[in-house]
Amino acid sequence: MKRTMYNFVFIILLVIGFNLVGCQGNGNKKSSDDIEIPEDIFGDDKPLLISQEAMGDIIDNISSPVEMAALLKSTGVPFSQKLLASTDRADDLNTNFKQALNLGIYGCDLGYLNMYEKTGSVMTNMTTIKSLANELRIGQFFDFSTIKRLATNNENLDSLMYISVSSFNNMDEYLRKSNRSNISSLIVTGMWVEGMYLATQVVKYAPQDNVIERIADQKLVLNDLILVLKNYKSDPNFASIVEDIETIKKEYQGVKITYEMGEPEAKEVDGMLIIVQNDKQHIDISDETLSNIIATIETVRNKIINL
Amino acid sequence: MKKFLITIFVVLFGFHVNQIFAQSDELVNVCALGIGNATYLKDYKVKLSSSSVSPPSAKFNVIMNKGTMYKLTACNAQGYPGEAVIQLKENATLLGTNLKGDGTFVKAIGFQCNKTGMYSINVLFKDGKEGAAVVILSYINM
Repeated sequence: MKRTMYNFVFIILLVIGFNLVGCQGNGNKKSSDDIEIPEDIFGDDKPLLISQEAMGDIIDNISSPVEMAALLKSTGVPFSQKLLASTDRADDLNTNFKQALNLGIYGCDLGYLNMYEKTGSVMTNMTTIKSLANELRIGQFFDFSTIKRLATNNENLDSLMYISVSSFNNMDEYLRKSNRSNISSLIVTGMWVEGMYLATQVVKYAPQDNVIERIADQKLVLNDLILVLKNYKSDPNFASIVEDIETIKKEYQGVKITYEMGEPEAKEVDGMLIIVQNDKQHIDISDETLSNIIATIETVRNKIINL
Repeated sequence: MKKFLITIFVVLFGFHVNQIFAQSDELVNVCALGIGNATYLKDYKVKLSSSSVSPPSAKFNVIMNKGTMYKLTACNAQGYPGEAVIQLKENATLLGTNLKGDGTFVKAIGFQCNKTGMYSINVLFKDGKEGAAVVILSYINM
């Protein structure tokens, strides 16, 4: 009996020890990874066309909106607040469908704001993002106080960008692991549409070859995006967004992409291996096709932000 | 008593798992903030067991865009003998790796992408040792 008691005390001390170590290690960490979120968002229990794993892989492949924002900034085109979605309507977004799509829209705008270092507007945008994320029960992934500190003090803008992007990455990873890829697919769709909207609007007023090319080569992404969304097509909301994205795809039929193969070259520079790809990509897009893509993207994007 | 011990085991295991995730998050933070003149895009966490026969590897697909210079940086977790080998591939073609012919490593891989498309990032550990690492995908600010 005495021996059992010693064992008991030993185990209790061990648990307390682990507790203390765990707490020290997680000082600033999100602690809500264990929150269980019921999968009753859309009530769709029909089998998926593709596996969760394959879907996660596709979602992961859709380029980051930060890359698009970086490309726009690199052209020298100045920042334009009027391109961004208004944050005034956030309270009207009263379903998970609307919230997830618009979370993607605001997430992309956040990347654009960060890229142009518009830290004042970052906070307004972030407040909306946090509110929508809370509604979707994924608000725990945004370290609001740190973002606020970095944005208000204009300090360490690289960290601000990193925290913003990694918050979305962690949120996306969590959604997929907890079988909520439907939400994840909508966020990614919103981001993609908004990224395309920003790019097409820039091109509309200040045509830039490299931006036109980036718009055109999104033809490669469209099929994947539609494939993911079609998984949930039995839900009328999803059926509607699939239809919208398919109208964009239709306009891309006029885009031709050809390749010329070449041998890659590699050299070591300052301890880093630099690989230069010598393949060439040629894009053929007529002014008419481009104008149609611009117009269709604008229609779909405005529909989303007015849901 | 048996139930009690099982409960304790579950609690301890839970904390252990939690600690592993916390450590990998810390490693991502440290690694992502040490990428120099580059902007973070994604991170890939890899933990693989040892194998002397055929080293296990993890594969991540990613779309890379024409006109962007990407950077891949690996950071190894402490407490594991394995050193992460990154292989950048296009389909089955190896474009480059951070492991040099003499068995040493370059600091990072830079990839000047001239063709938008799907690429894969394979991660394994040198000599098939057990390892844990984080690979950061970023783009270089030109």
